[in-house]
Amino acid sequence: MKNTIKIQRAIKDITQAQLAEMIGVSRQTISAIEKNKYVPSTVLALKLARYFEVPVESVFELTEED
Amino acid sequence: MEISYLLPHKFKKTGWVLLVLGLALGVAMRFFGIDSDFFGRIPFLGIVSEKNFISSEKLFFDIVENGFLDELVTVLIIAGGILVGFCKTKGEDEFISQIRLSSLVWSVYVNYGILLLAVLLVFDTPFWDVMIFNMFTVLLFFIARFHVLLHKANRL
Repeated sequence: MKNTIKIQRAIKDITQAQLAEMIGVSRQTISAIEKNKYVPSTVLALKLARYFEVPVESVFELTEED
Repeated sequence: MEISYLLPHKFKKTGWVLLVLGLALGVAMRFFGIDSDFFGRIPFLGIVSEKNFISSEKLFFDIVENGFLDELVTVLIIAGGILVGFCKTKGEDEFISQIRLSSLVWSVYVNYGILLLAVLLVFDTPFWDVMIFNMFTVLLFFIARFHVLLHKANRL
């Protein structure tokens, strides 16, 4: 699975730490998701999409391996 | 709502103090010849004990005079280790919980891998040592692995 969190963050102009605080997770979690080292839960994925005001599919996308 | 079996973060420091103290006393006992009577002997209620070394006659619910340093070390290491390993981190979230779980699985594999090797390769009195260490290693491996992975995550 790949994601566009980095781009979405750039659009909103916020840091990993700020996003983490808004969503209520650690900065490490945001960083790990951005680097594709961690696949978030559905709840967290939905929270991220809600914060970015886009559908969840605009943030997360399945890849070949999935 | 998922049940978290974790303890509050505030006990973690206490856990480190107990664990380090227990390990220090344990090392003193095992490697510097301090024996379990070092701080004296106190009576325990033994649910099961033995009359003496020679006869293996079992005694039930008997008062046992016992040097308590080994019991103290064991309680300190286990209580401290549980607190250190299972108190929430400051920003405990789902990613950290996943690191915690994978560290636990890793430590169980490593611990029992080593134990299996020891069963086949270590005999007599040295195996007794293996069993003593094995009481603590699953917790200690878990704590070490978890903190290494947390440290790595901090640098992501």
